[in-house]
Amino acid sequence: MPRVDADLKLDFKDVLLRPKRSSLKSRAEVDLIRTFTFRNSKQEYTGIPIIAANMDTIGTFEMARALSKNTMFTAIHKHYSLEEWKMFAANYPECLEHMAASSGSGKADLDKLSSILEAIPLVKYICLDVANGYSEQFVEFVKTVHAKFPNHTIMAGNVVTGEMVEELILSGADIIKVGIGPGSVCTTRLKTGVGYPQLSAVIECADSAHGLKGHIISDGGCSCPGDVAKAFGAGADFVMLGGMFAGHDQCAGEVTEKNGKKVKIFYGMSSDTAMQKHAGQVAEYRASEGRTVEVPYRGDVENTIRDILGGLRSTCTYVGAAKLKELSRRTTFIRVTQQLNQMFG
Amino acid sequence: MPRIDNDVKLDFKDVLLRPKRSTLKSRSEVELARSYVFRNSKQSYTGIPIIAANMDTVGTFEMAQALCKFSLFTAIHKHYSVDQWKVFAVENPDCLQHVAVSSGTGQADFEQIKKILEAVPQVRYICLDVANGYSEHFVQYVKDVRAHFPDHTIMAGNVVTGEMVEELILSGADIIKVGIGPGSVCTTRKKTGVGYPQLSAVIECADAAHGLDGHIISDGGCCCPGDVAKAFGAGADFVMLGGMLSGHTESGGNIIEKNGKKYKLFYGMSSETAMKRHAGGVAEYRASEGKTVEVPFKGDVEHTVRDVLGGIRSTCTYVGAAKLKELSRRTTFIRVTQQVNPIFSPNATED
Repeated sequence: MPRVDADLKLDFKDVLLRPKRSSLKSRAEVDLIRTFTFRNSKQEYTGIPIIAANMDTIGTFEMARALSKNTMFTAIHKHYSLEEWKMFAANYPECLEHMAASSGSGKADLDKLSSILEAIPLVKYICLDVANGYSEQFVEFVKTVHAKFPNHTIMAGNVVTGEMVEELILSGADIIKVGIGPGSVCTTRLKTGVGYPQLSAVIECADSAHGLKGHIISDGGCSCPGDVAKAFGAGADFVMLGGMFAGHDQCAGEVTEKNGKKVKIFYGMSSDTAMQKHAGQVAEYRASEGRTVEVPYRGDVENTIRDILGGLRSTCTYVGAAKLKELSRRTTFIRVTQQLNQMFG
Repeated sequence: MPRIDNDVKLDFKDVLLRPKRSTLKSRSEVELARSYVFRNSKQSYTGIPIIAANMDTVGTFEMAQALCKFSLFTAIHKHYSVDQWKVFAVENPDCLQHVAVSSGTGQADFEQIKKILEAVPQVRYICLDVANGYSEHFVQYVKDVRAHFPDHTIMAGNVVTGEMVEELILSGADIIKVGIGPGSVCTTRKKTGVGYPQLSAVIECADAAHGLDGHIISDGGCCCPGDVAKAFGAGADFVMLGGMLSGHTESGGNIIEKNGKKYKLFYGMSSETAMKRHAGGVAEYRASEGKTVEVPFKGDVEHTVRDVLGGIRSTCTYVGAAKLKELSRRTTFIRVTQQVNPIFSPNATED
């Protein structure tokens, strides 16, 4: 008989942060940079822990150049060739400390990942990304990669529950990607009914990870700077963004005009669009689990970065956190029924 | 680890007022004027406690002229010069008891209110307004202003929780502005995730303030006269309106014509529009926390005022309150999932 877990799980839209007393005088005083030492790789990280997702329109080399200027991170998508990687590394060595190379769990992916990491030793992060991080095969894969690259920091996911976070950390991963179905172009919940509200997933997974000195990434579900703040408040060490970075100059794809408005294409990595592009088609035994949308063209990502970081600084000021590090300790979420006044739409 | 406060906090849209037996014969019997004596200034107030917000499109001298005829209040925005104040004071001496001078926490703002209050001593109210009333810096500023103006009534905010209401009252403020993020052109919740549903904020803050003989203003979140009634019912001593008073003849800014329809611009005071206008731009370390909208032109504010006051009188009749003062004592909120029957909206007109 099925079991119903009766306590309500929460999404970003179900809460707000309660303001608290603060001795900060200005948003400009807030420090957003964090420093971590990772459990398994023993590597150290310093930067603003926001990551552009390893989606082929978002995790581009152009995005990495723009984000690394702000010490933000980019998980480079897995479809660049070794030659493209070498060329980028030669031209922009200063970006490499804020980048990860991505891979699925296939043999061809691992071979390519290995060749990239061997050719460019300055890339110290590996992003192992599968739709379902719960498979035994994926656990084995994480172990294999950790054995092969013991000093590289491994991001692995996606999962949404504490016990699987613990399993992946104990298998050699350093940073666990948390999120199943929350993404703006993800249709997993629609197609499968599987998922977990992102705020609760982050709170529970952060708790598990931190108990083992591991780290987590909140991956998906942020639609505005306030959501990024809530993810950090919930305990995320990193926040990964896809849709919020879509539609910019730095994203892959052409700007097209539609009814006089400029748009760019954005799609989930399990969508028809992505599967046709990279696998030739949607395999017969599976459904597409992503959408394709046209997002308004938004110019240089620098403006969006400023908006997100400005919002985060303001959040920290409201709850009295002088550093991003203190945000989750200063966080009390209150439950709400609406986010915004809809008077003017 | 973050804490989750599990009881759901409520907005105006989550409740309705339950009707109660009443001996009133007509709405016209309802008394909306209130009298208060303020805790720290010891000044007394009489009027209908609705306040036009200190936004540069709403808290104008023209608005004050129109509202004071109804004994409503205006928090004049902080961008008028001392000379403009002097002219207004000479031409409208009767309005001065229903206006406040506004200030942020900057030194220049402090100097400006000193000059205005020296030039126009009949103005007895000071509105100290910052986005985040939780900073120690702001508490100190309230103390400084109180020390300098011991007999002026100080409005201060914004905050949303009882402990900070108490702190500001004990630091010298008389009336605490309550509301973070509920405003119609405020995007603080979207940009920061911070905020508090307005109805719960008012209930909790009124309780804290009244325990110390202080008062509160419900600031933001009212979209219709019913919301104003709910704010008073929740315990607000004053209700401040921005969006509901925007788009009128008395509002700041020019009328814009577009496709044969008339509009006026309305924007949050932390929007890009406002920051460009008053600070020369959005500083690099911050995000804009307000939006700019074109509001259909609504004519003279007098009509809107009558609509709001008529609505509140009707509320009082429904719950059996002969005076606005009795409204919160007569209030029982019921939780609801919708406010109005949507069958003919959005194309229906009200008249």
